[in-house]
Amino acid sequence: MARVSTRRIFLERTTVLVATLVFLLPVCWLISTAYKPSNQIFSVPPRLTFQPTLDQFRAAFALFDVAALMRSSLIISIGTTVLSLVLGVPAGYALARSRSRYSAGFAYFFLAIRMIPSIAALIPFYLLMRDIGLLGTWWAVIVFNTMLNCAFVTWMMFSYFKALPPDMEEAALTDGCTQIGAFWKVAVPTVRSGIIACALFCMMFSWNDFLNPMFLTTLDSKPISVALLTAYGTKDITWGTLGALAHFSTIPIVLMALVMNRYFVQGATNGVQ
Amino acid sequence: MRTRFSDRRKYFLFLMAAPAVLYVAAVGLWPLAQGIGYSFYKYNLLRPARTQFVGFQNYVDIFTDPATRRAILNTFQFTLFSVALQLVLGFCLAMLLWRDSRFNRIVLAFLLIPATITPLVVGLIFKAMLGADYGIIGFFLAEAGIGPRTGLLTDANTALWVLILIDCWEWTPLMTLILLAGLKALPADVLEAGRVDGATGWQRFHMLILPLMLPSVFLALTLRTMDAFRVFDSVFVTTGGGPNDSTNTLMMLGVKEGLQFFNVGFASAVGNVTLLFIALIATVLLLVVRRADVRINGK
Amino acid sequence: MTKAFSSFMPRSAAYSTATVIFALMASTACVSAKSLDGVTLTVASMNDGFSKVLTELAPAFKAETGADLKVEIMDYGTLLTKTTADFIGDTKGYDLVTMDIVWAGAYAENKYSVDLTDWVKRDAAELDLDDIYPVVRKSLGEYNGHYVAYPFAAYANVLAYRKDVLDAAGLKVPTTMEELVADAKKLNDPAKKLYGFVANGQKGPAVAQDWMQYNNQLGGSIVDKDGKPVLNSAANIKSLAVYKELFTEAAPPGAIEYDWGGREESFRQGMAVFMQTWSVGAPVYSDPKVSNIVGKVGIAVAPVAKGMSPQYGVGGWGLAINADIDKPKQEAAWTFIKWVTSKKIHKEFNMMGAGGFMRKSQMTDPDLLAKYDFLPVIAETYEHGNGEFRPRIPEYPEIQDLLGTAVNSVLAGAATPEEALGKAQDAAKKLF
Repeated sequence: MARVSTRRIFLERTTVLVATLVFLLPVCWLISTAYKPSNQIFSVPPRLTFQPTLDQFRAAFALFDVAALMRSSLIISIGTTVLSLVLGVPAGYALARSRSRYSAGFAYFFLAIRMIPSIAALIPFYLLMRDIGLLGTWWAVIVFNTMLNCAFVTWMMFSYFKALPPDMEEAALTDGCTQIGAFWKVAVPTVRSGIIACALFCMMFSWNDFLNPMFLTTLDSKPISVALLTAYGTKDITWGTLGALAHFSTIPIVLMALVMNRYFVQGATNGVQ
Repeated sequence: MRTRFSDRRKYFLFLMAAPAVLYVAAVGLWPLAQGIGYSFYKYNLLRPARTQFVGFQNYVDIFTDPATRRAILNTFQFTLFSVALQLVLGFCLAMLLWRDSRFNRIVLAFLLIPATITPLVVGLIFKAMLGADYGIIGFFLAEAGIGPRTGLLTDANTALWVLILIDCWEWTPLMTLILLAGLKALPADVLEAGRVDGATGWQRFHMLILPLMLPSVFLALTLRTMDAFRVFDSVFVTTGGGPNDSTNTLMMLGVKEGLQFFNVGFASAVGNVTLLFIALIATVLLLVVRRADVRINGK
Repeated sequence: MTKAFSSFMPRSAAYSTATVIFALMASTACVSAKSLDGVTLTVASMNDGFSKVLTELAPAFKAETGADLKVEIMDYGTLLTKTTADFIGDTKGYDLVTMDIVWAGAYAENKYSVDLTDWVKRDAAELDLDDIYPVVRKSLGEYNGHYVAYPFAAYANVLAYRKDVLDAAGLKVPTTMEELVADAKKLNDPAKKLYGFVANGQKGPAVAQDWMQYNNQLGGSIVDKDGKPVLNSAANIKSLAVYKELFTEAAPPGAIEYDWGGREESFRQGMAVFMQTWSVGAPVYSDPKVSNIVGKVGIAVAPVAKGMSPQYGVGGWGLAINADIDKPKQEAAWTFIKWVTSKKIHKEFNMMGAGGFMRKSQMTDPDLLAKYDFLPVIAETYEHGNGEFRPRIPEYPEIQDLLGTAVNSVLAGAATPEEALGKAQDAAKKLF
């Protein structure tokens, strides 16, 4: 995709920037509460200026072990993502390439699993985890979220692989490539963007998921998403604490997205001309 | 020769799919079956002594109580409009971000931020910003006389639409991500062909790109439909389902019954009805997309 | 992590906490063999005035008894969900639970918590029960004559008002509901962004609880003498009409979507003249870091309808011991309850800002009075306190939800008080 006028690129980028700004403004407001004294978070009429302070961070650190919260969030979301990809990508590939008339049915089965509303499944799952002694550990959340996410990854990869003509793998197989080789060296690189999208999706799902970890973790294993809600007291919403904690819940995901985006590029077919 | 190859491939593909199928069946089906069982009982965990078998009564209640019927309609309206809006916005953004450049990659990372914020907190943010008395947006809207004087979230005519927009704010970026991944996987030779033919931008979009993108579009639509249909968090903290019943949704009822009253029987019934509705929508979507596929791509 | 904490803590706060803890330790440090060495007690605590104080008191408890205290702080919904799941799953996740007084019925019916009645009798002398207000003992701990929890942090419903506005208008603090309504309407001045009154309007628990407060003071009642619901009694319908009148004629326009946070914020912003609130939040209005109305706020006993004998709302939290944990742990938990509610520690607890006064001796304590000048108001409230205006029956959550829907629909103009409460009553009857 070459030869695009600079004027057009300029227009495109301006539009994108404006859109991004709209999406970021509410977040900026939340983040900014962390630097405001509590009595300046709101005012009548609303003001944009305030005297910056770090008190809110002090308050947040006094109430929460932020490092432990972050560790739990990272373990839960990375664990879920890795497990879901390991299970889901091959399954999606298999269903897309299979000529069995049951493959569509299986794909639909995965979709249905993803649709299970948590409330229907959480209480029985809670008791199940108690019986096998995993309740309150990171594993309980990882096992549950992997069930939902791997179903989703399977379905998503099924779509991406399906959109990819099987010719190249068939050619590779005819050339004496192994089955695994055809999958790993030929098919996977072409849908790299899809896999990255799945990974980001899983990561974000587990990172900001609240209900499942709320139910399944304890003080020592709870992630930051659950802690965030603690600021929502009966008496009051401590916006400053919420804003301070929000730093720790957004920044890692943005960093991760930046790192992963390096690989979020055109599929290999486009490189080969 | 041909058959042996094919057998080995079949065997291989079976092995690739088996772990995921087994895992999902082991972890997912058990709680689901439990939930179906509960739904036939009047069963409250807080009052286990009063448990009794009621057959389909919980389901009958869902469809006869005017409040739940309203919740079902609200849920459909919410899902339809928020997903449609997200698809259009998401597709535009994905097209704009298609070109591979450092700029686009950085923008995408920042664009994903809304989706990293716990939906409950998202609701709290918007409620705080839209409040008519001291919210940073709501105050000026009220001063300028735009919308109801008591705030956009307090009027039965506007509240649900505001919730739809909040949903779009949070999830359009993910829609963009899925569609962008689809765009990036498009075979370049096909697109090059279009360029050589000298097709205009619009022709290229709806004759070449859209047909190839149908699987991704379907994927994005089903995923967002499933989650939009289960909306709960943002409603819970912004309006609590009010004013009156104007923003009640199915999951709002389900979560309230399940996790506040521990009325497991009724909550499971709500969960199952939700599941059925989603499955229905997904099937319809699947059929529509397949028909479109046949019509456009002729296969 | 402790290191990181202290380096982030403002010096003055760290200092005062340290002094308190050292003072507590010094008085008890002589005992070297500690009875509870190696025991860890986990507390599920509501995020409220007392939760931070509990964390800060943990070292002192350890110094005295040897037991570690782990405090998990949660928001209301999470606390309710997690503790209930813990009880019904018998998972023994928490040893001690802060119990909202309206959960007492459910706790009693399902025997979630250890029945403390015998222990209270056994240790009566040590507990100094007579120093605790009868209404607090009864509604924060007892249910049908048994202690399902032990009183821990009591709150009084009080009227917070703007001294400066009343003075400027030459008005006295209202002593009856009729005066309150009249004054609120009189002082309402939307052009100046000053409104007469503010209360919760958001559908759900927020509007239900605030209305029940007003309903109580206007002579209404949610249940009859036998504990059966009478949501659409004449008195209730009348009080709901008054509540609606206050909303349309004297409240900030956005109040219909306020929950506690919105209500408090609008008062702190100086937008409202009158607000009824739990005493736990009262110190905040004079804290210049948080409030924009420092020095302009007065706290008074909440008014009741003319001619009604005074009865004021009492609420708060008890401490319950999980019935699933083993006997020695139950005893250890009881040791903690006795310790934290003892005269000496409970005074420190309140000095540190917990806001849960419940002992008669606290109301006249010079140190506490110097810090909290509204204590006489709380004392008066407890003398004529009513902890039952929100019925503490097992069906309370559902009743509260029905009322939350009914009252909100009236405020939204979608139904009359008769219709809405009538509908709620029909649904409530089905629960029994």
